[in-house]
Amino acid sequence: MITSGRRIEILLAVIAVFGLLFLTGYTVVAAAENDIADIGGAWQRYGIMFNAANMATGDKNIPPPVSDPPLKAEFLREWQAQRQARRDADAAGTPIANPNYVNCIGDGMPTMMVAMFPIEFLLSDGQITIIEEAYTQVRRVYLDQQQVTLDDIEPGFFGHSVGYWKEGVLHVDTIGIKDYVQFQYTPHSRDMRINERFYKVAPDILWDEITITDPEYLTQPWVFTYAYKHMPGYKMQEYICEANREYVDEHGYQQIKIGE
Amino acid sequence: MKTGICSLLRGILYFNLLVFGVAAAVSAHHSFAMYDHKSTVTVNGTVTKFQWTNPHAYLELDVYDAKSNMTHYSIEMTSINMMRRLGWKSSLIQSGDQVKATMAPLLNGKPGGLLLDVTLPDGKVWETGVPAANTFARTPEVVIGVMQP
Repeated sequence: MITSGRRIEILLAVIAVFGLLFLTGYTVVAAAENDIADIGGAWQRYGIMFNAANMATGDKNIPPPVSDPPLKAEFLREWQAQRQARRDADAAGTPIANPNYVNCIGDGMPTMMVAMFPIEFLLSDGQITIIEEAYTQVRRVYLDQQQVTLDDIEPGFFGHSVGYWKEGVLHVDTIGIKDYVQFQYTPHSRDMRINERFYKVAPDILWDEITITDPEYLTQPWVFTYAYKHMPGYKMQEYICEANREYVDEHGYQQIKIGE
Repeated sequence: MKTGICSLLRGILYFNLLVFGVAAAVSAHHSFAMYDHKSTVTVNGTVTKFQWTNPHAYLELDVYDAKSNMTHYSIEMTSINMMRRLGWKSSLIQSGDQVKATMAPLLNGKPGGLLLDVTLPDGKVWETGVPAANTFARTPEVVIGVMQP
């Protein structure tokens, strides 16, 4: 037999427990909401990044241009020689063909984040999906998961990405990029790691701060940032590389097929 | 010229993307160094095909000289995604249309070039949004081909 006094005690205890759960839950949800920034939708590359002189716009939302890779001396020499060869070929009007372009192969990581074409962020439970319009490239960032080991995955164009939100910043860790998927023709090892921090610097401007670490090839982390401007209402278009007329001639130069 | 204020505004809105947001990245994909950056050529011709594809569109022209000798030209454009953002449609140019194409010619002398703008039969001029278009010097008009009756 439960007395009325005992009933009141039980009722108060139940209210206290539910109240505590409610408050605890509310606190967790509120913190999580504060951590997450609204980055959904389509974005276009923002800023004039091709000529250092153009940086004098005074727009602080435009990050500095990408520096040369901090390659170790033995790799840097080859990288510089290849760059000079490309410049000389361009100056001669006989550009060296880019095999990926000729074969309709997309950029992979991190070149995809250059966002030559619009990019789109899709936010869903446990995953953020990043799509670039060009070549319909897709990255999947698995949230709040431990990163796998290199033995667990096969190298690919986009690698394996995990991420988490903290104080409005999306942190992403990516490993597992194929050796011939290169950013600015920069060689890398299987151990290359790409860390990204996505955060808004203005309501409609998103930055992706990219840090590449690769002790086998780099003397220090290679850090650079891309900025994107929101494209409200933009509908991403399909992109299929279906008819590339470009080919590589016997000298390795880029040519196009003339005629239908 | 584009039809309607909406198209104009859309063109302005995405101009930044095309000119400033693409050139460096495009250089990693594709070089336009095979085209003459120091002179332009105007080609009058009859469209045999408007190839609406990625990675780039192409305009195919039969070009006749005053003696009715024909030379076929292939003129490269940009990505159809970029062109769509500027208001282009695949139906904008039809086979049989007579057009005036301003192009940066191929440096290797072959009959082709990079399309900078095209004047359609209705007199409207359309630009293709070539990345870093301002690096192609516009020179006094050198006309190849005559419009067919």
